[in-house]
Amino acid sequence: MLPNWRDPSEKTLAVLLLAPAFLLLLLIVVYPIGKLLYNSLFAVDKDSAFIGLRNYLDVWQDPLFWNATQNTVLITLITVPGALVLGLGLALLANLPFRRKWPVRLALLLPWALPLSFAGLIFAWFLNTDYGVVNDVLRRAGLQSEPVSWLLKPNWAFAAICLTVIWKTSSFIALILLAGLQMIPNSLYEAAEVDGASRWQQFWQVTVPMLMPSIMVALIFRTITALQTFDIPYTMTRGGPGEATETLAMLIHKYTIEYSSIGMGSTLAVNMFLISLVVTGFYLRHIGRDAA
Amino acid sequence: MSAFFDAQVNCLLGLNCVNPVSPVEPETLTIFNPEENIMKKRLSLKLALLSLVSSLTMGAALAQQTTLRVFVGPNQRPDLQAKLFEQYNKANPGVRVEIETGGATSELQRQYLSTVLNAKDSAIDLFLIDIVNPAQYASKGWIEPLDRYVGGAAALRTDYLPVYQQANVIGGKVYAMPSQGDAMFMYYRKDLLAKHGVSEPKTWDDLAAAAKKITGAEGNANLQGLSIQGAAIEGAVCTFLLPYWGQGKQFNDAAGKLTLDKASAVKGLNTWLGMVDQGVIKKNVAEITTPITVNEFKAGQVVFAINWGFAYDRFQDDADSKVKGQVGVMPLPAMTGGKSATCMGGWQWAMNAFGKNKDAAGKLIQFLSSKQASAFIAREGSILPVFQSVYADPEVNKVVPWFKDALPVVLGAQSRPMVEDYGQVSDIIRTTTSAILARTKTVDAGVDEIATRVGRLMR
Repeated sequence: MLPNWRDPSEKTLAVLLLAPAFLLLLLIVVYPIGKLLYNSLFAVDKDSAFIGLRNYLDVWQDPLFWNATQNTVLITLITVPGALVLGLGLALLANLPFRRKWPVRLALLLPWALPLSFAGLIFAWFLNTDYGVVNDVLRRAGLQSEPVSWLLKPNWAFAAICLTVIWKTSSFIALILLAGLQMIPNSLYEAAEVDGASRWQQFWQVTVPMLMPSIMVALIFRTITALQTFDIPYTMTRGGPGEATETLAMLIHKYTIEYSSIGMGSTLAVNMFLISLVVTGFYLRHIGRDAA
Repeated sequence: MSAFFDAQVNCLLGLNCVNPVSPVEPETLTIFNPEENIMKKRLSLKLALLSLVSSLTMGAALAQQTTLRVFVGPNQRPDLQAKLFEQYNKANPGVRVEIETGGATSELQRQYLSTVLNAKDSAIDLFLIDIVNPAQYASKGWIEPLDRYVGGAAALRTDYLPVYQQANVIGGKVYAMPSQGDAMFMYYRKDLLAKHGVSEPKTWDDLAAAAKKITGAEGNANLQGLSIQGAAIEGAVCTFLLPYWGQGKQFNDAAGKLTLDKASAVKGLNTWLGMVDQGVIKKNVAEITTPITVNEFKAGQVVFAINWGFAYDRFQDDADSKVKGQVGVMPLPAMTGGKSATCMGGWQWAMNAFGKNKDAAGKLIQFLSSKQASAFIAREGSILPVFQSVYADPEVNKVVPWFKDALPVVLGAQSRPMVEDYGQVSDIIRTTTSAILARTKTVDAGVDEIATRVGRLMR
């Protein structure tokens, strides 16, 4: 039976009102993902041979894929908690009753406002063997007899990238947490003080539980972007030395753009999408529910 | 009226906006004479029609003007190309050429163009591509065969350097036309070699000894013996190949199959590492890119430097160069018992297979790959010619005297593998070479990796 357009039922109205948003999502989310899945079944691009799941088998047997996945997971595991702790500290600092608030807020916003690749280049120059400020300071302090090539040593290069990512992203977390902090009513602290709670106890018993929803939002955003890390390692090390700091997003870029292999690039992207999906699902199912 | 109408149309077409004659012409104010007035009206009508026809014709001529969009990398002197396009435009007023530039390095330009061409975009008509790219682009169907515009492969057999025939003729068809030559040269400080009584070294061992003698005697901690490119950039492919070729070995056969002799590759890379250990090459060689070598040589911090042909101009002409007039150029040394070998570069004009102005683009390519164009950019920008005869052109030699010494180097130069998957082959070689020079991979493991991974692509 056709719906009555003049006086639609609530259900029909709901469908009608949702339709534009649904169509938009279909176009900008479902279609590209479908296309990605489709492309991943071809040898090089859609004009070449259909090879079924061959690309997937190749990817799963490729040590470079596992190396990049391991690097990506490690960067996520190190930088997300790192940025959370630093971001929380910055938010607490910015929330102090300063007479002038803008210099603190500006300092908080600045790293966030910088383009990622810019941050990567700045830190790459800091750590440059010949012209970097880090080696210069160490040499002047008498801690170094000859310059260290930080970005040519796999572990140092990895640590440098993590440090840059934490520096760059903690201000984003701080901004979200600052908004959360300002929503905690002062009366809760006053009540805690009356009950004889110390500052430390107030932090753990009032601030942290009240801030949990903001922390969750920040964590989900940060984790998803950490899984997609590209710009900072690309500008700092180009994935080197060798492939020591290559992430999954960089490997996708390499196959798709440098090697012009849309098939393999799409396959890698599908794998990354699945990883993101699992992580987001985990957050939403377990932690998100508890926080709510 | 007609003049007014004409001016209006011209102004609308953007040709010439002058103050139009007033629509109320003075004669219309004279005493009324019906006959004369009718005649005037007829005349005005004729003139108006004539002017309409002429304006429409001009408009159609404007519409017929073809605009060609070309892509030129920033290192391939877009300023000089613009002058060439001006020359072409004078002789062919119907064609206007717009330049697009971008991508600081060969890899970045390749990435940009492959994004455009994967999308079958017709926006760019012509592009300058690196010598290593025609095979890859042709296999993807991205570039148009040029035989019908340039007269077939025979056109390349005339006076062009032989290496460009190999690179641009694929499966018997011409896919690109050479524009700018390039090769890796050994630059050295003439003053320092003369001061310490050192002659041009013929082998890498001689070079290491000469560099140590000079740096030792100079006692300047900032003075390097030899600067090579060890960062994971395209230049590192040549860094891998130079000491390998220098032993008389070939990386691939004519069919593009890998013929890597692992022992020679190990020996070649150990030559570089040996020089790092002796203090001839900097310890952080794996960070060194082409511009770093150029800048450090210019700053007077390098005795010997391997770099592309364009660097000579920078050493001699840049305002901040401290080595003006002291720069020598020589063929690259050989491995002991081997022969000198260098890496060929260069840039070719190719036509977008998805372009919409192929005939006009084909004519422009003919002009851009002509001897006249090659001599022009050689004179104006010290860019290595692609024609053998231009190296001896007196006009060119007057401006760039070192070109006559460059010809034997360029004639002996070898090209990197010209294969469909060059992007991947290059990435494997340069990343691994850089990791070996950074000592995060052993030479044996690295060479094994190159042999296995490149072997899969070149069989």
